[in-house]
Amino acid sequence: MLVTWKYRPRNTFVQRLDPRTRLIFMVCIIFALTIPEIWDYRIVLPLFFVSLTLYLLARIEWKDVRRAWLYISILVFFIVGLNGLLSGRGGPSSVTNLPSPVLFEVPFVIPGTDWGWMVPVTVSKLWFALNQMTRMITMAILAIPIPYTMDPNIYGTAFRRMGASDKVSFTMDLAFRFLPTFARDLTITMDAQRARGYEMDKLKGGIAGRIRRLAPLIIPVVMQSTVTGEEVIDAMDLRAFGTSQRTWLKELHYAPRDYMLLGLGAAIFITCCVLKWGFGIGGFFVPDFFTQFVVR
Amino acid sequence: MPNSPLVIENLTFQYRTRPELAIEAISFDLEPGEMLLIAGSSGCGKTTLARCINGLIPRSYGGKRQGRVLLHGKDVAEMQIAEVAQVVGTLLQDPERQIVASNVYNEIAFGPENLGLPRDEILARVEKAMKRLNIEYLRDRETFNLSGGEKQKVALAGVLTMNPSILLLDEPLASLDPASAYEALDVFRSLADEGKTVVLIEHRVEDAISAKPDRLLYMEDGHVKYLGPIHDLPKEIDHHQVKLPAQWVVDRVKAADETVKAVSRPEARERGEALVVFDDVDFRYNDESPLILQNVDLEIRRGDLIAILGPNGAGKSTLVKHAIGLLKPTRGHVLVEGHDTRKISVAQIARTLGYVFQSPTHMLYAPTVREELEFGPKNLHYEQAVIEKAVAESVSTVNLSGLEEYPPLGLSFGQQKRTTIAAVLAMQSKIMIMDEPTAGQDFANYTRFMDALCRPVNGSQSIVSANFAATLFITHDLDLAVTYANRVLLFGDKHIVADGPPEEVLKDVDLLLKYRVRPTSLLHLNLELLPRTGQFLPAEALAAFA
Repeated sequence: MLVTWKYRPRNTFVQRLDPRTRLIFMVCIIFALTIPEIWDYRIVLPLFFVSLTLYLLARIEWKDVRRAWLYISILVFFIVGLNGLLSGRGGPSSVTNLPSPVLFEVPFVIPGTDWGWMVPVTVSKLWFALNQMTRMITMAILAIPIPYTMDPNIYGTAFRRMGASDKVSFTMDLAFRFLPTFARDLTITMDAQRARGYEMDKLKGGIAGRIRRLAPLIIPVVMQSTVTGEEVIDAMDLRAFGTSQRTWLKELHYAPRDYMLLGLGAAIFITCCVLKWGFGIGGFFVPDFFTQFVVR
Repeated sequence: MPNSPLVIENLTFQYRTRPELAIEAISFDLEPGEMLLIAGSSGCGKTTLARCINGLIPRSYGGKRQGRVLLHGKDVAEMQIAEVAQVVGTLLQDPERQIVASNVYNEIAFGPENLGLPRDEILARVEKAMKRLNIEYLRDRETFNLSGGEKQKVALAGVLTMNPSILLLDEPLASLDPASAYEALDVFRSLADEGKTVVLIEHRVEDAISAKPDRLLYMEDGHVKYLGPIHDLPKEIDHHQVKLPAQWVVDRVKAADETVKAVSRPEARERGEALVVFDDVDFRYNDESPLILQNVDLEIRRGDLIAILGPNGAGKSTLVKHAIGLLKPTRGHVLVEGHDTRKISVAQIARTLGYVFQSPTHMLYAPTVREELEFGPKNLHYEQAVIEKAVAESVSTVNLSGLEEYPPLGLSFGQQKRTTIAAVLAMQSKIMIMDEPTAGQDFANYTRFMDALCRPVNGSQSIVSANFAATLFITHDLDLAVTYANRVLLFGDKHIVADGPPEEVLKDVDLLLKYRVRPTSLLHLNLELLPRTGQFLPAEALAAFA
């Protein structure tokens, strides 16, 4: 059986918004940053504060989102941040080829050999990493509160009212609930294997070995997910899903606040496109104050 | 009978992947308001028959089908699934498998929404179904937070909103506590009285007869062995295959002049030292959640074979998870062989206490049974020679010999269950805890399974006695406590409300009813004969006293 996120009703501005507004606004911010490729901190930072304001207006408790923030932080700081700092291609080189002062070098040596090379960390790479992390967090903090503050009963309706087909809308509804269901199954399996003496924190060996030793957790959970999927299909078939145009019982209505936020989202997207493509503003550059600050 | 809601004519089906026929030459018809009970053990073909009625065969399950299934004169094979769904409402064995929406109201409305009915019509149908089943108070609840009985009613309401004339109920009692099961049976009866044709598939005939089915169809090996009134059940219907009322079993044993072997109840064992101690334990998941355990005091001693009874959601699993250290008390202490579970790891406790989870699919993962059984002992760093010996012994003990190189996930459900027991046996723990050991198995299989575990054979000790200092199992099935346990714990209101030998705890029928444990015919007969037997006995053994 599919379970839902830890949602509870709160009387907040964000929860009073139509779910479509929140999804569309999030898409506007993501598109505004990515389609015209905005890297200018003078645009990125205001957008970050807009997102942060909406996040704070959701009045979501820290204990609810602590784990989500942990995963996001790992992703942003260790993958995006370090990748930006240490890599060449695909990282900063995708937006800049400017010569930049080298701050320090990180040695990479193949274990067990003397072979290796030095990776220079430049001012440009450091600014890129900071910029990229800010962009990612600007997008993520709009998504994090959704599972906790959006009624799970209107996931499907929201997508249907945005024009998706019945099947796509219900698929999105089920997909939203997949992760908490997966987490529940993982907890049960983890308990079952711990009761057989399995200790995850004592996994030894190389990466391949460690992954192999995760099999007692991964295989039962994947099997359980497969079985759940088949059960859901049978249950939906037996109640005639997909045989004709569906009536969606829940109705959604935009309020003035929704139009305001949708207008803001559209304005942000259009402004970013115009600034970048019309005036050439918004591309990557390293501000002088930053260079002076880190080189000093 | 052209106007009969359901007519089955000479129906035969063979799955594409199987060499044998699943069902052969089945014929019967049902009238409006008639209730048919279909009984038989696993593999007898009753699920295949159900799939032929609700249209999943031939749509979702391929194979060779002969004969006809007519719904109000129209062949299922020629109908669209949406059309079938409006005639046959199917309630699956486990309501959790049936519920797709996250909220009760959406779940009940799901079918009519799929039919594209007008909004007002859907609202009217949902309100009517909720009122019919008295579940209006559940309308805003999340489905995954409901109790088993509530989930069952919500799933049934979802079926009723499709306005089916036939209700197909596939083992609907399997996941319910006894009191909820009887409430559900009352609802099924009243629906038949209102004119619905009800097909009730259930191997627990004893429970199902309280719904007063008009006829019984008994199946074996894909054939109809009996079709007729339930009280004329012929003697050849095997009481080992379906659960019959205790008095019926006694009558059959007497009529067949079966010599009942010496009373085959688990041996009484000397109780020894305390292995696990709960000392005034309270538990809640976090500061804001309510207490689940309160003032729990309990000692599990050497020689105990304990059955834990109590209503769904009372906290029985929470209680036993404290013993293995998966949960730690909010207040008080749990000691395993004198060690506080707060101070030792679950892996350390696993050397003393083996825990068999309810569903095998939550723990089985290895490519072979052998590797599955080696997993626990290897985690506990036993020497290779010790592991090989323990695995070999556990395979032989639970009768899995010859299957060592098979993938556990490819075995039958009963074999998977035995593999989970073997996995705990191989760890050589002193105590075994089983959460609902009979869940998902039919009467014939779970009786075989529990007999194999708990009954002494030819004067030697039973598997649990020979291998474990103490055994504890959680169950909904009161008869398991009557038949196999030497100590019963009744759990309710967050603590243990009764603790003692089955003959003492289970004689207080009012107390049992208060905690939704419904006395069975076996318990009643045992209580009646207790002055002569001196102890609770299985139904067959009672024949010597009745």
